[in-house]
Amino acid sequence: MSDATTPKGELQSSIHHMSARTKRRNAAERRFRAYGIAAIAIGLLMLVTLVYAILSKGAGAFSQSFVTMQVELQEAKLDKKGNRNIEEIKKVTTFGYAPLIKDAFEKVVGDRGIETDLKSKEMAALLSKSAASQLREYVIANPEKIGETIEFRFLANSRIDGYLKGRVTRESIANDKNVNAEQLDFADQLINAGILEKTFNIDFIIGADASDQRPEAAGIGVAMMGSLFMMLTVLALSLPIGVAASIYLEEFAPKNWITDVIEVNISNLAAVPSIVFGILGLAVFINYMHLPQSAPLVGGLVLTLMTLPTIIISTRASLKAVPPSIRDAALGVGASRMQSVFHHVLPLAAPGILTGTIIGLAQALGETAPLLLIGMIGFIASNMPQTIGEGLLSPNSAMPAQIYEWAKRADPAFYERAWGGIIILLIFLVSMNTLAVILRRRFERRW
Amino acid sequence: MFDAQRPGDTVDQKETKISARNVQVYYGDTHAIKDVNVDIESKSVTAFIGPSGCGKSTFLRCINRMNDTIDICRVQGDILLDGEDIYDKKVDPVQLRAKVGMVFQKPNPFPKSIYDNVAYGPRIHGLARSRADLDVIVEKSLRRGAIWDEVKDRLHAPGTGLSGGQQQRLCIARAVATEPEVLLMDEPCSALDPIATAQVEELIDELRNQYSVVIVTHSMQQAARVSQKTAFFHLGNLVEYGDTSQIFTNPKDERTESYITGRIG
Repeated sequence: MSDATTPKGELQSSIHHMSARTKRRNAAERRFRAYGIAAIAIGLLMLVTLVYAILSKGAGAFSQSFVTMQVELQEAKLDKKGNRNIEEIKKVTTFGYAPLIKDAFEKVVGDRGIETDLKSKEMAALLSKSAASQLREYVIANPEKIGETIEFRFLANSRIDGYLKGRVTRESIANDKNVNAEQLDFADQLINAGILEKTFNIDFIIGADASDQRPEAAGIGVAMMGSLFMMLTVLALSLPIGVAASIYLEEFAPKNWITDVIEVNISNLAAVPSIVFGILGLAVFINYMHLPQSAPLVGGLVLTLMTLPTIIISTRASLKAVPPSIRDAALGVGASRMQSVFHHVLPLAAPGILTGTIIGLAQALGETAPLLLIGMIGFIASNMPQTIGEGLLSPNSAMPAQIYEWAKRADPAFYERAWGGIIILLIFLVSMNTLAVILRRRFERRW
Repeated sequence: MFDAQRPGDTVDQKETKISARNVQVYYGDTHAIKDVNVDIESKSVTAFIGPSGCGKSTFLRCINRMNDTIDICRVQGDILLDGEDIYDKKVDPVQLRAKVGMVFQKPNPFPKSIYDNVAYGPRIHGLARSRADLDVIVEKSLRRGAIWDEVKDRLHAPGTGLSGGQQQRLCIARAVATEPEVLLMDEPCSALDPIATAQVEELIDELRNQYSVVIVTHSMQQAARVSQKTAFFHLGNLVEYGDTSQIFTNPKDERTESYITGRIG
């Protein structure tokens, strides 16, 4: 517009001379590129920050401090009559095992020449509260070992573990009733003696959650099984239902106002907040159908409702992407509509359908809000499910719900575990998305 | 069948394979084909010519009911194949399409092997009793498609890897594999270069011995080269239908003359 004022002669002058308009245009393009690069840089910076934060805070959850020592399974304390009657052995509670641990510490101090003013009770407090029950379980499983001296590997309690990981320092425990400076000195001596050490902790990955008092024993394994059974439910329900619905809508349904309404509603459902599906699940599956609370089956049903629109939308998109000429070709040689869909269209759309399904599953895997409402959250003391039925119906948590649960507990040791859980969850999500990309690349056909 | 024949319409005494009577086609509110009457002879090539949008492809797709897949398309009037109405309620379009094969504008082989492309039709119609039978059918069809010599060493290579002309001949082989009686071709050479076009045209001329071929084309030279009869469509009307030689040398209708001399269309 301002060109109107530019003398005509200038526009027609040498191409080596840039006109004002060209300069402005080029400057605008350079600015736009700079904005783009800046936007990407900010995004990358945030990603790096996120990954660094998660890794630095969560890595500690994968290692744990253990105390390795010899414990004499004293017959006098465990089996007074000496008849190895399992029922009588079972009557000895974990309190009965505490002296064994104290004695073991006394022995360690004596043997290794460790100098400490601590009483044996304070020494035993270095161990996790699960130590006595670990002993008891061993004895009940192996009553014939009573009287022998066996090497045990006990979890150190969360404060000592934190001390080894640098989370707990002498300054930070000034007001801490659970641990004192002398115990930390003792821990240092145990480390020097090779009795206390920090190693990789597989139990975090395969174990069950533990109570508030024992963060060092908590693991995400059972919640992982909960997530697995939910995903199986989602896959088994949403893939066939979603694909059948999409094929019908895309290939067979007449295009009229009813199908238009259905289509609009599917798109709307994809945008409905997940907590709405949660409350629907609570109302329908638990209150009305009386399915068990906290069960992965119910979680799976709710997540199926949530995943279906995603799968239907992506399946329809990949069916639409199959060129109509393929359908014509099949119909032209006398295939029925169903044959044309199942022999030709569906195989070509399969990579897209798989990709959409995996991305839908990945979304469902990370979903927490609906699980709040159907009770898959909170401390659920459960063991590894032994059968598929148990896996589907017995109360369980799920990975994101477990992370949320840990994050809200008071002990900082749980906080570390929450970050560790996020690492595991992200590994799952990244591998699922990578699988989706690989499948798409691998099976994509060009025509 | 001889009752359906109207000697006045034909020049030499061939059977009528397809006859259309008062065919009207509507796309929603659009009247795409207006009152078309035509008799297509068996074992000859009939060309449909006319400017774009004149309805020749639409009419072609009515003959094997491919228009059924378009929701808004309605067909009125009768189209008889060997004296039987193909729009009768008792007719299954799938069965009809096995009898009336089709070759499309753009070569559209399935993204499968050459062998599977040709074998697909016979397989779904149960034409082969054994693997050996199927091999015979595939070879015969590929020979009829004049492509056997080029692909016999790579039957299990993907059909989409062939050149455009080869793909189109593969599609013709695929169409003849189900032993159709009529072969509809919708601008089969529009995506091909002149050499491939010449090969396909030669093939069409050979196919005439066994099939009734109906070809839609934009190239008047092609219509003149390959067809015995030509129909000229304009704005949904069948303007003129007659021997190809007569249409191109001595058109009766003014519009036909304008079109073939390049003044309209």
